[in-house]
Amino acid sequence: MLSKSQARTFFLVGTLLFSLLFLFLTVDSVRQVPAQTRAKNITPAVARGKHLWDANNCMGCHTLLGEGAYYAPELTKVYERRGAAWMDVFLKDPQAMFPGQRKMVKYKFSDQDRQDLIAFFKWIGEMDLNGFPPRPSRDLNAGLPAQVTPPAPPSTRADAPAPRPTTQPSSQAAARVAAAPAMPVKFQQLCVACHMLGGKGGRVGPALDGVGKKYNVASLRKWLEDPQGVKPGTAMPKLPFTAQELDQMVAFLLAQK
Amino acid sequence: MKFKSQKVAYWFFAACMLLLTLQLTYGFIMAFAHMGLDGLHDYIPFNAARATHTNLLVVWLLTGFMGATHFIIPEEADRELYSVPLAYLQLVSLLVVGVVAIIGFHFNWWEGRKFLEIPRPLDYLVVVNVLLFIYNIGMTVWNGKRFTTTGIVLFMGLFSAALLYLPGMIYFTNQTFDSYFRWWVVHLWVEGVWELIMGAILAYLLIKLTGVDREVIEKWLYVIVGLTFLSGILGTGHHYYYIGTPRYWLWIGGLFSALEPLAFLGMALFAVAMYRRSGRQHPNKISLYWTVGCAIMAFVGAGFLGFAHTLPQVNLYTHGTLVTAMHGHLAFWGAYAMIVLAIITYSMPLMTGRKLWNNMPGLLAFWTSNIGMVGMTGAFAVAGIAQVYLERKLGLDFMVVQKEIEVHFFGLTLAATLFSVGITLFIYNFIKHGLPRDEMVGDQSLDADWVEPHQKESVAAAPAPEKSTPKTGKKAKA
Repeated sequence: MLSKSQARTFFLVGTLLFSLLFLFLTVDSVRQVPAQTRAKNITPAVARGKHLWDANNCMGCHTLLGEGAYYAPELTKVYERRGAAWMDVFLKDPQAMFPGQRKMVKYKFSDQDRQDLIAFFKWIGEMDLNGFPPRPSRDLNAGLPAQVTPPAPPSTRADAPAPRPTTQPSSQAAARVAAAPAMPVKFQQLCVACHMLGGKGGRVGPALDGVGKKYNVASLRKWLEDPQGVKPGTAMPKLPFTAQELDQMVAFLLAQK
Repeated sequence: MKFKSQKVAYWFFAACMLLLTLQLTYGFIMAFAHMGLDGLHDYIPFNAARATHTNLLVVWLLTGFMGATHFIIPEEADRELYSVPLAYLQLVSLLVVGVVAIIGFHFNWWEGRKFLEIPRPLDYLVVVNVLLFIYNIGMTVWNGKRFTTTGIVLFMGLFSAALLYLPGMIYFTNQTFDSYFRWWVVHLWVEGVWELIMGAILAYLLIKLTGVDREVIEKWLYVIVGLTFLSGILGTGHHYYYIGTPRYWLWIGGLFSALEPLAFLGMALFAVAMYRRSGRQHPNKISLYWTVGCAIMAFVGAGFLGFAHTLPQVNLYTHGTLVTAMHGHLAFWGAYAMIVLAIITYSMPLMTGRKLWNNMPGLLAFWTSNIGMVGMTGAFAVAGIAQVYLERKLGLDFMVVQKEIEVHFFGLTLAATLFSVGITLFIYNFIKHGLPRDEMVGDQSLDADWVEPHQKESVAAAPAPEKSTPKTGKKAKA
């Protein structure tokens, strides 16, 4: 049977051996991580965003790279999922975007802060994470445009023709979309978070199928410009559209008959 | 109690009870928020409640380990503590740092890294504080009349824990490095050096409670802590699957994590075997409950449930879901909370001279808190598994899934209430013990074996409570 001194030797040798092995693997990991995490893309803005992430203990509710708390959404792929425009509006007033739902603290982020955070999330989303987060084996939201279309850079977005969703919705939905004016980029970025169209989207506001039958140009425009003026106390936020975007949006909504 | 300075432990344990109470309060705040009852959001947002809940856990466990050390080390080294005023200074400063940090959390002041939320400037105070503690204990061990394996393993555990706090203080801009070295603190504490501390306390208690030969117990202590490091060090790899680190961590982490339950299994088998071999009838049965219970629950919570979600193929889906909370709760409870409660139930009668062992509140405290915690684990498990399927497998939106699983947090709250009843009874017993008394110094009578009532005239000990009489037949004969 094992003697006490043999047991001690087992403990000491084992610990030493595996500590050395761990240190060796750490050295190798430290060498490989910069390439795997695209560390060359860590701009000063990303670094400032990372600092904001820590300084406000975002990990106390969210997970990032799957690490943190389980109260608020996983944010590793949030840039791909929501896009810069949506995130910018959301970070200004989180509760306005999800009225009556689980609350996020309204931080006093400056315009610069929000851009830094978005840059940070963009960088995080580009990492090679060995397959995390996993693709759902049966994605019930497949075809939801906001989830699959990477947004174009903001500077070119307003002028560029709206990109079509890259995944194909059901054939009927595709036919309907083809007949209508192209879906505005802002619609994919903002509206579907709360509204459904063709069975895809959020459940906060009413579905927008057939909205063009109920309203005309003037009423839709007034509603988008000043929701509180039309219906005081509504959960609909006033979204930051340019005049051109507003025209596109109204035209698109009118076509939903 | 052999030495006067062992009394210091009482104040560490009293602080534990206070911090534990506060920890439970914040747990309830979070459970209610998960149910949609977030009325405190403007004053205590979820991230503040969460940071407070986990940091209080770490601080009360560390305070408990320190209290245990102040009780055990004088006896193992066979001398008074090096400096009693230093021990008090260290306790008070630890509490001050802890309280300042927790107040800071409520004003958005923190380092903002999971488990290491204590603001960076306070980190330095923590280091000074722990150095004070290590110095005081180190000098006691160094000048001791004897060196025991239990004492040395305990000291090594504490020393390495202090050393491993340092990698967590470095700032990295790259989130992956930030995480990589954060786990050096968190993982190598709870699945590494804290197990040395736990193993040493367990060995001490088993030596005292079962009367099995010290050489036998300490030999197995080496085997168990050897297994811990053999699996636990490279087991850190299970945190390196999906954070931007090389792919080889998937199989290294997977392999060694699969071995991690071995150390806990060894501990459970060892505790039960020692209990069976027990040649003693130690009167403090409730402490034996907590000691053996600790080893078993550590295996279930840390070993088995940990294994259940560290396989890389499983972890791909469970990583970052409530499944982690399920494992975390039972693991910390079994491995670390219960060992602290075990040493408290063992040492309190010796320090105060009051034999509140085997009484109804004590037994109820043990059973209700354990059943409550198992219930909580079950609620987290159901919520977590539902979340994995709905969100990760079917691709439903996070918030939609959270609405669906709200009901399980009601179940969690019910189980947590039961758990809290148990903890309240434990604290009630703790308070009933009163303060430590100087007359108890050198009094060995409370440590004597329990004897049949008809033999008791030969022993100075007071009669044991009726309820603990094991065989009524013999009593009738007497």
